[in-house]
Parts: sequence; structure tokens; C-alpha cells
Amino acid sequence: MMISMEAVVLKLPSSLRTIHPNPNRALRTVPFASSAAAPAPLSTDPHLGPGSLAHLTRPDFPILHQEVNGKRLVYLDNAATSQKPAAVVNALRNYYESYNSNVHRGIHYLSAKATDEYELARQKVANFINASDCREIVFTRNATEAINLVAYSWGLSNLKEGDEVILTIAEHHSAIVPWQFVAQKTGAVLKFVNLGEDEVPDVEKLREMISKQAKLVVVHHVSNVLASVLPIDQVVSWAHDVGAKVLVDACQSVPHMVVDVRSLDADFLVASSHKMCGPTGIGFLYGKSELLSSMPPFLGGGEMISNVFLDHSTYAEPPSKFEAGTPAIGEAIGLGAAIDYLSAIGMQKIHKYEVELANYLYDRLSSVPSVRVYGPKPSRSVTRAALCSFNVEGVHPTDIATFLDQQHAVAIRSGHHCAQPLHRYLGVNSSARASLYFYNTKEDVDDFIDALSDTINFFASFK
Amino acid sequence: MSIPTKITISSLFHRSAAPFFNPTKIPTPPHRLFFSKNITKIISSNQPVLSSPPSSSSLQRVEELPPKLQEIVKLFQAVQEPKAKYEQLLFYGRNLNTLESKYKTTENKVQGCVSQVWVRAYFDEDKNVIFEADSDSMLTKGLAALLVQGLSGRPVEEIVRVSPDFAMLLGLQQSLTPSRNNGFLNMLKLMQKKALQLYVEAKRGASPSSDVSGIGDSTSGDGGVVDSAIGGNLNEDLGHTSVLGSRGRRIEEILNKELRPTAIHVEDISYQHAGHSGVVGSDGETHFNVEVISEEFQGKSLVKRHRMIYSLLQDELQSGLHALSIVAKTPSEAAAQ
Repeated sequence: MMISMEAVVLKLPSSLRTIHPNPNRALRTVPFASSAAAPAPLSTDPHLGPGSLAHLTRPDFPILHQEVNGKRLVYLDNAATSQKPAAVVNALRNYYESYNSNVHRGIHYLSAKATDEYELARQKVANFINASDCREIVFTRNATEAINLVAYSWGLSNLKEGDEVILTIAEHHSAIVPWQFVAQKTGAVLKFVNLGEDEVPDVEKLREMISKQAKLVVVHHVSNVLASVLPIDQVVSWAHDVGAKVLVDACQSVPHMVVDVRSLDADFLVASSHKMCGPTGIGFLYGKSELLSSMPPFLGGGEMISNVFLDHSTYAEPPSKFEAGTPAIGEAIGLGAAIDYLSAIGMQKIHKYEVELANYLYDRLSSVPSVRVYGPKPSRSVTRAALCSFNVEGVHPTDIATFLDQQHAVAIRSGHHCAQPLHRYLGVNSSARASLYFYNTKEDVDDFIDALSDTINFFASFK
Repeated sequence: MSIPTKITISSLFHRSAAPFFNPTKIPTPPHRLFFSKNITKIISSNQPVLSSPPSSSSLQRVEELPPKLQEIVKLFQAVQEPKAKYEQLLFYGRNLNTLESKYKTTENKVQGCVSQVWVRAYFDEDKNVIFEADSDSMLTKGLAALLVQGLSGRPVEEIVRVSPDFAMLLGLQQSLTPSRNNGFLNMLKLMQKKALQLYVEAKRGASPSSDVSGIGDSTSGDGGVVDSAIGGNLNEDLGHTSVLGSRGRRIEEILNKELRPTAIHVEDISYQHAGHSGVVGSDGETHFNVEVISEEFQGKSLVKRHRMIYSLLQDELQSGLHALSIVAKTPSEAAAQ
């Protein structure tokens, strides 16, 4: 593991402008074995100093080494999309330069190679989330399309009038809107769980709502606004007790921690490549074999058929049944390369680093006067994802984000983050959000906080 | 000319002259602590291309803006440092009259903004449009204040002719290009739409006619502020020459001289095309409807007639005229209609 990290570092081309040259980078080993006994305070940073995971991996991300408006770019919008390491960019380019060809149908050499690599990518995704079979992975355009697939295919044929779909008000729009379509068409009812104390979806209420009427529970693993983590394994067991299925939106969890679909026993799980160092344009649906086999097709066309007659057709087995038309071949292979990259680091290592960083971000941000951070407070028992949505009293989030960008080259997001119901519940129109990934350093957080203070002072002087 | 807003431009100059026009007195920001001493703090002195002194063709455009808007544009151009521009913007916003909450209706809300922006318009005694606006975002409020200051107290046809391109001259890096669907453009469009609504309502008496509802949605894709029929009526009512800028007048002059028409109508419809690629970077007069009735077209095919007109207007086409929509008839054809 260490050796491969150093090898990655040594490949750094000298033409890259690194703003933080770290001559010790190649030599220092990172002490990842957790140091002995004493329970350290929450925001200690043994892993955040020089030689941290971020310092080691940053050189792999060319895009991070640039200036915006004359200042070093500080990219803190990873919940929206992640950056891609050179390995992924190269995989994509290599595909198009060496063996681009349509998959599955061709006989010739290029086509066989493309097919092999494409199916290998599928296997990599399956391994990454510990699915039992690669045929349980359906490639889609993104997680949103994957959820729509479940809604249109499974939802329309399994839900009827009076059936209940349980969701939380913190769900992403992509996990809400398709089910609204299904509810309109079938007469099923959507029920939403509110937040409890600590600004986390009320897990007890959720348990109560999973009654015999419930046929499906749609729930996020990690919230893109609240940074909270739900106990998916428990939710799944409650749902299965009443015969309901569970669809897990893992967009903010798969990129940041170990996700094991078999230990969670999820029925469906979705994620997007672009949030996990992979290219845009590809995502996947995990579905248990027996479920996928029983579902009617979603999109019709080539690839998903077995035989086509004029008046009817027969369909292929999953996953092909749900992959109509020419897929995003290069992108899938790019996703495979992203998985290779992440696996080489190790998801546990990434998660451990990010928990430290999350605590550091939360501590620093909540100490800024007049800042209100949403979601739970991190503690021994409560881990937060490395993101903070927040509001500043008296200053609109758009003003914050604009000034941070224009004057400090700090990139955050402002808006409703595709979670309008949640914002409505919190009583605000919009919020600002800083979201980190394993290549963000402690310095990024420090720069962000300094810039934020400057921004708040600037606007305060105009009140 | 009555200046309905509380703050006159001259008083704004007085107030802002000291900190903003004398570079030595620009308030310096408190020293920011950066983590690494390795980073040399590069204060951006690069001016974005957009705020450099305008070329001669865009100067022409500035002159055609309502006078107060011209002042505002020049004021912003005189302020070099980006941060000072933001301060200037926020000053404007702070001085904006508050909008009573009863006016914060859905009708008055600018669509497509993450922040909330409302705009209200009404006529004063001289049938000039007075605007009021508000926003929960301070930067947006500043932008709204610019528009309110710049456009209030002006007649409808002047307001309607303002192309959003002028925003580039402000040098604010808030991506004020018309091609992006953003608050500033939508604000301007809503203000123009409301000005037109006032005009139409005044024309047709107290109750709004069906034409008012025919005014297109300000967020529709083509960027059109107004149904062309209404725009056409507006032109005819007000006398189209008073609405044409210099290019429009030149077009009319050339066609009059060369084709000796029995009737000619030149209409500037550039604002309908605000936002598409032909408009950006031009002087704002880019799209025209031209209707010419002339004996010169006798015996010539449609294609030939259009070619005649295009060749007469070659110079204009080379210098920013993007498109002409031509109706070319002979007197007998026109009479037969």
C-alpha cells in the first residue's frame, strides 16, 4: 500500500505548478496505525498535518493546481462533483486512443477488447460494494437515472393504491420526484419522516412508519446537507420484517467510506461515478438478482432484447435488460479506473482521514460568529460527513459564495442543494455548503475559514 | 426632468467621490492571514477584458443608454479594484428605498434567482416609469439598485430599448453576460416587461386587455420581452424614428435614398434577441425588421429584392448588423393585400 502511494507521488511531472511544494512528500511515511491509548479530543489532527493523505494524493489531481482570480483555488464543492486523478483521465483517453469500439456486438479485436474492459469495470463496481454477482450492477447515466429506473420499472408494477412509500424530508430531489410520478400513476402514498433532535431524520419515527402498508423505503445513507449518517442496516431489517423493500441513495457514502451491500442487505442501491473520482455520465444501480429478474424493462431498444418481432419482443437477462442502446463505454472504464485508484488508497483510510477533517471543519466553522451549521454535532457516537451546510446571520448565502469565489478563489455552493423540502423544514430559502474530499487539506479548511471571516466582515460593514 | 428617487446622481458622486475616486483613499482591507508564507499574495490587478475602456462601437452604445445609466456605467468603470466595485455596488443597494411587503408578490418576483428579488413599476404624472425593487441578497439588491437608479423616471420606449450588454461595461465579474440565465438579466427583462405593461394598460384604459397577457413570459427561451405585435404598435404609436438608434436611422436613410420607396418601415428588434451569439460584442443594434414598398422591386424575384437590400446595407452588415427580416413589395402588390 505505502509503496504504491510513493510510486504515484514520484510520477509527478515537473511541469505541474504546485502551490504547496512539499519536499518531504516522497519520503515521509504516514503513520496510519492509530497511535496508542489516550482518547484524543475530537478535533485533534494527527492525520491532518503535513504528509496527510491529502498532501500525498493532491499531486494526482492536476485540476487542483491552479489559480482563480489570482489566488490558489480552494475547491470545496465535492458533494456536487469530485475531481478526477490523472489515472482516470488517462484511462478515458487511452480508451479512445487505443480500443474504442462498440461493445457486446462485435467480433473484431477492438470490440472484444472494449467489451472486456467494459465488463471488467462492471466487475470492479460489484467488488467495490461487495455485490454477490456482477450481473447485479446495472450501468446508468447517474444515480438519478438509476432511481427513475427503479421507480418506473419496479414501482409501477409493484405498487398499487394505498401502498406506502416511506421517505425522509431530507431526501435529494432525485429520490423524491420519481416517486411522486409513481404515486400519481398508481395511487400509492408517499410518507415523509421529519427531523428529530440533533437535526437528523428521526430514526424512531421512521421505524414506526414502516408498517404493513409500507412497500418501499427510500432513504439516503449520508445526507448531502446535514452530513448525517443513517443506520441503514437497521432500517433494512425493519423494512424486511414487514415485507418492504429498501432503496438506498448512497451517492454521498460510496465515495467516502466502505459500503457493503450484502452486510446492509439493501434491495436497491444507487450511486454516481462523478462523485467518486470517476467521469460524469455514468452511475449504477445495484439490485438483488431476484428483484432485477422480476422487473419489466425500463428503456427499450438494442442490447436489452433477445428476439425482436414486429408485434412483440423478448428481453435479455439483467443487467442487459436495463441497458438499452450503446452505453457510456469509456466512462464506465473510467469509473473502473477510479475504483482502482480509490481501492489502492483504501476506503477505510479515506474514511478515517475524512472523519478527522470533518470534525476539524465543523469545529472551525461553528466557531465563526453568527454562523449556523445544520445537522448533528459530531461526537463519539455521531460521525459527520466532511461537509457543512450553513447560514450566516444577515448575509445571503449567494452573497457569501460570490464573494468567496471572486475575492478568495474558494469554491463552495449556495442554494437548496436539491433539497427544497429540507430547507423549507429548516425555515430557510437556501444555504451555503462547503464539502470536502480526501484530497482537501487542513490548509484548505483554514483558508476557507479565513476567507469566510473576511467575507462576513465585508458584508457586515454594509448593514 | 423630475428625479423621483431620493438620491440624485450628484449627491452620489459627493458621497462616493472621497473613498472611491481618489485611489489613495480606497479603504484597504484588513490584512488577511494566509496559511503559507510561500504564497505571495497576489492582489488581482488584472482587469477583466470586459471592463477595459470600451471600443468605439460600444461607446456609441453607452451614449444611447438612459443618461443616469450612463453615469452609473462610467462610475463603475472609473473604479478599478474589483473589491471596490463590490463596495460601490453594496452602497447602491443600501441606498435603495425599501419595498413595502405588500408589493412582494409572485407577479413582482424575478424568476430564476436563488435569492429573492422583487420589482415594482408605476407611472409618474409625466408617464415616466418609476421602479422600486428589493432583494434578500445584498449583491442582488445592489444590482437591482443600479437598474432602479438607471431606469427610473425614463419613458417606456427608452427603457425597452436598453440591451443587457451594457452590464459588461460595469466590469463586475458576476457573469452578467446575457447568455447566462441569471438574476440581472431577468431583473432587467422583468422591468422592461412591466414598463410595457404600464404602457399598454394606459393605452387601453384601466382594465388590462388580452394583449397584456399575450406579453410573453420573461423567462421564455428566445429572450423576447414583448410580443412583436405589441412592439410594433408601440413603434407606430410613438413614431418609429424616435425609437431607432443611429444604425436604424442609417438603414432607413440608405434605403430611402436608393430605393425611393412609397412606404418604408424599419423596426429595431434587437432586444428580442438579447442573449444569442449574434448580439454579444456588438453595439446593440443587431436585428431589424425592414418593410419596403418600392417600384424598384418591379420585375425582380424575391431573392433578387432581398439581395438588393443586403448589398445596400453591406457596411452595416460588416459592422455588427446581424440579421434583417425583410418584406419587399411593389406598390401594386402591397395594394392587392
